Amino acid sequence: MKWWAFIIASEMRKILAFRFDFWVTFLGQSFIQIIISISLWKSIFESRESQEMMGYSLESIVLYYLIVPVGSKMLTGENIGFLSREIYDGSFNRYLLYPISFFQYKTLTYLTYSCFYGLQLIFIFLSYHILSGGIQSEQLINLLAGFIFFFMASVTYSQLALGIELISLWADNIWSLMVMTRFLCFFFGGAYIPVDFFPQFMKDILVFTPFPYLINLPIKVTMGSARMEDLFSGTVALLVWTILFHLGARLLWKKGQYHYSGVGI
Amino acid sequence: MKRYLKLYLHFLRFSFSKAMEFRLDFTFRIVMDIIYYFVNLALFKILFLHTDLIAGWTLEQMMIFVASYLLVDAINMTFFSTNLWWLPYYINKGDLDYYLIRPVSALFFLSVREFSANSFLNLIIAVFIFVYSIINYTQPWEVEKLFGLILLLINGAFIYYLIQMLMIIPAFWTQSTRGFIDLFYTLGLAMERPDRIFKGWIRIIFTTILPFSLIASFPARYFIEGLEELSLLHLLSVSLVLWILILSLWKKGLRNYSSASS
Repeated sequence: MKWWAFIIASEMRKILAFRFDFWVTFLGQSFIQIIISISLWKSIFESRESQEMMGYSLESIVLYYLIVPVGSKMLTGENIGFLSREIYDGSFNRYLLYPISFFQYKTLTYLTYSCFYGLQLIFIFLSYHILSGGIQSEQLINLLAGFIFFFMASVTYSQLALGIELISLWADNIWSLMVMTRFLCFFFGGAYIPVDFFPQFMKDILVFTPFPYLINLPIKVTMGSARMEDLFSGTVALLVWTILFHLGARLLWKKGQYHYSGVGI
Repeated sequence: MKRYLKLYLHFLRFSFSKAMEFRLDFTFRIVMDIIYYFVNLALFKILFLHTDLIAGWTLEQMMIFVASYLLVDAINMTFFSTNLWWLPYYINKGDLDYYLIRPVSALFFLSVREFSANSFLNLIIAVFIFVYSIINYTQPWEVEKLFGLILLLINGAFIYYLIQMLMIIPAFWTQSTRGFIDLFYTLGLAMERPDRIFKGWIRIIFTTILPFSLIASFPARYFIEGLEELSLLHLLSVSLVLWILILSLWKKGLRNYSSASS
């Protein structure tokens, strides 16, 4: 078996170790988030007495919030705060001894989670369309394109997360820093409200940040409402931000290794 | 009572000295909560750019509600959150023994032992946001209503703690409560939405079975519109029933606790 297949198999075993937790999390979280979001938006649409807001009908808002929970999970994976624990107990040593690079290992474990949640995305999307009257080939293409965009966004986010996790070579605990990053990515990325609802000045600023390409754009691609130029600019933006985050993380890795005692804290 | 108060003061002293050991993390946590506050305030401000009313409330009324749940969240983070975070691990690893042999209530000890010093600073910020939202409220209001709101929010913080315990106690039987805890944090979103948006069976769930709407939405409604006696009675009886339920489940759980690591 190739080294990458070993890593994927080992991560899959971890994901499926607590099956009950997994189903409670998946079904429960998705269902609750959707119910709460739909209740809020229904109330907003009712008070406005209009069929459409910022190009979204109530039906498209429902689909948007169906994709948000699994899309967000696909984006962020599950590796939050692990590195600081490994530094704390000294098990960080293994990355210095493994025959593969730290970045290869971490990115692969991260993306295994992302792909797994990607399967949930496919499940949710197909279920929605089948229940609402059948699926068309165009929607399948949108789903495939959306999956690819979410995957690209996951790669970008993984490099950002790695960089932040590496700060734990200096700080004792970076859990709060990771949560902060998630808050910002979710809020400015459109997980709480679609970016189209933001005031214009915010949208103008956000174009120059990675945020709208992490959640909002992949969702719009999955829904089939993204324009061709959005796809192009999104791909370029994700690529550029991935490179920048990766270079930043590499710099932190290079400098941070000298701060590591090798015996834990 | 006096003994418990004295014990709590000891907990406070230990928690502050512990927090000062990890100063960078201490700062990060403060900033994290500030961002959380910013996100919540901005969320509704943005929504109100597109509508004048949400669930019958205007922006300034909604700000009272937002400030209310931020306050409840800050109370919970300061007094209970860290303790409840570790509780399933203690149950799972058999570390509960240490707490069971103490000459104080194990539930009290495990629930409030660690006072979160950094969250205390955020609690001050949350109080500031709350005061600010009240000062900027242009509708007439009475001091008794404000006093009632504060009391109901303290009760709300207690309900929040009880629901969290409800999700943790299954650890005595399932060994891992990660799924339930994740579910709790997702359900917490219901606390951050006005209760009027929920209709039918969803409303019954969030006002009675998992009463997240009673935490901040009912108290805010009491201040803004006044609550009828029946709703107040409902709020207090649900809190009481939940408290009795937790006490009984805790006792049952302890009987099921094997002590050995699993």
